[in-house]
Amino acid sequence: MRNKFDWLQTPALLVGLCVLCALVGAFSGGALGRVVTMTLISVVFVAGLSVFTGNSGVMSFGHVAFMAVGAYATAYLTIPVPLKNTLFPHLPAPLAWLGEVHAPFPEALVISGLAAGLLGLLTSPIVARLSGLQSGIATLAVLVIVYNVLNSWTDVTRGSSSMIGIPKVTTVWTALAVVAITIVVAWAYRCSRSGLQLKASRDDFWAAEAAGISVGRHRAIAWVLSAVLCGISGSLYASFLATFNVSGFFLSTTFAFVVMVVLGGYLSLSGAVIGAIGVSALQELLRRLQDGGLTGGVALPAGTADLLLAAVLLVILIKAPYGVMNVRELRLPRPRGKGGDKPRQADQTDPVRLTSGAMQ
Amino acid sequence: MILEFVVSAIGLGALYALLTIGVALLFGVLGLLNFAYGEIVMAGGFALYLFRDQPWALSVGAAVVLAVIVAVVCEVLAFRPLRDADPITLMIASFAVSLAIQSLARMTVLPRAQGVAPEPFLGQRFQLLGADISVLEIGTLVLCGLILGAVAWLMTRTSLGIQLRAAAENFEMASVLGVRANLVIPGAFAIVGLLAAAGSVVLVARQGAVSAEMGLQPMLIGVVGAVLGGLRSLKGAALGGFILGVATTLLETVLPTGLIAFRDAVLFTALIAVLVIRPQGLLSSAKVRVS
Repeated sequence: MRNKFDWLQTPALLVGLCVLCALVGAFSGGALGRVVTMTLISVVFVAGLSVFTGNSGVMSFGHVAFMAVGAYATAYLTIPVPLKNTLFPHLPAPLAWLGEVHAPFPEALVISGLAAGLLGLLTSPIVARLSGLQSGIATLAVLVIVYNVLNSWTDVTRGSSSMIGIPKVTTVWTALAVVAITIVVAWAYRCSRSGLQLKASRDDFWAAEAAGISVGRHRAIAWVLSAVLCGISGSLYASFLATFNVSGFFLSTTFAFVVMVVLGGYLSLSGAVIGAIGVSALQELLRRLQDGGLTGGVALPAGTADLLLAAVLLVILIKAPYGVMNVRELRLPRPRGKGGDKPRQADQTDPVRLTSGAMQ
Repeated sequence: MILEFVVSAIGLGALYALLTIGVALLFGVLGLLNFAYGEIVMAGGFALYLFRDQPWALSVGAAVVLAVIVAVVCEVLAFRPLRDADPITLMIASFAVSLAIQSLARMTVLPRAQGVAPEPFLGQRFQLLGADISVLEIGTLVLCGLILGAVAWLMTRTSLGIQLRAAAENFEMASVLGVRANLVIPGAFAIVGLLAAAGSVVLVARQGAVSAEMGLQPMLIGVVGAVLGGLRSLKGAALGGFILGVATTLLETVLPTGLIAFRDAVLFTALIAVLVIRPQGLLSSAKVRVS
């Protein structure tokens, strides 16, 4: 018999992994502590992204746009009003209320998530209607549009100047709490009716349609939910760094997150979380290598870290296109020889060729 | 005024058509939406920068050689092992290639933008039927027109072109009938390198500078144009790129000054609308199944 609490195993293990990271960060402090907090924020983002990509099998290149919306919303809500009035002296009349609003951090976090969710709702027809390459391009277009607007609407977003003066309230523990909630929400969606139907459409699109599943609707639901989670990660990002620049929400960031999900395995939540932690550690290692921290002060030219990261991604794509975890989830090893372990075997089969299945 | 607008619109249209074909060609043959295309353009610009003091013909030749080498090396190192992968995997791989080439450029010569003075004769202007036209614009138009003509000739009149079109139509059938993949695909990449080099010559002459990030704009233009026109046919893609160029010029003329900065947002919104309403592209008649 399977245990009643069996389905909680994976989220518990994943949260445990993040707690371990947080403990490492909290006790080492300093530079490593910052890295750990950024890693946890990446975990929030990647788990949010995985709500959409992992369940639908459709890759998205546009989620950084939601992160950007979350970060800007947090900036408007938490920068003290007097400072805000000097930062944004030319707010157009219909948006003048932005200069007056203020919210304490926990509320700002939630509102930022909802703001990103609103953008998700607006863009959901795209993913409801397209799959494969076309949805890849369309989601990239969403990113370009949001970036272009944020970069050019100088009166409202400060354009290419950095946003400054956001109260720094995120600590490693707030990040950990949000990570835990995100992982539980992502897992709960995966096990929900809608998540199961979406996963069915991932494995065989036409069979799912034929069985009466409204694939477009479930994709839209997952898209909005993942937008909310990514918006929350943007809010954490803003309130951890206290300052950010619009250039942080474009292709290079997208690329870093894509490396995380692809390396870990973009079909599984465990893969996404492990990928985020692994790639963050790798990036930090490469950064130190590039700065000469590991080679005894011999700094390598700028760009070495990016080059190596790209090489790692290419090797992974060639050798294991579904990442380290494939479609498996993290579980405790079971005692052997009891038989009837069907679900575990089913977990280990190769995934179907997703895009070819979805695109026909 | 009208004539000036027409010359600059057609010039930009021809340049965009050139950039678009480079993306559509590889998509047709391989199913690869090549995000590293901009970096191949950048390789051309890189050669133009290295040979900036040499005669013009030499530096252009170097740009062609370097862009073709980079394109073919990409194929051999990155895309050959992934030949049977699905389009999204290929797209992510091309992201990685793009980042790798950019970092290589940043590590060596281009940590920051470098100026390349355009040939002085390009800056001259002359009167034509009462309109004030620069040599650069006419040069853009002539060069891009010539290259487009050459590509059309290559695709219809040469053995490589016919094999390429057969491979784009149905790769399996083509290979059964004796089209050799390891000849045709590097050939396609070499043509893309040539197109990218021509694009880089025009872009560097217009911008007067090269940088590690200069590939982004041409890559986006190529992808948008190709999607607009329909990725399956080269003619459709070229027309899509041309329309994009004309639309860009038109937007720059029509949009109020305060809104010109939002040009990309307008173009990409149009792109999304096209994708959602007509996923096969505006001009393509082929049926693409929408899910």
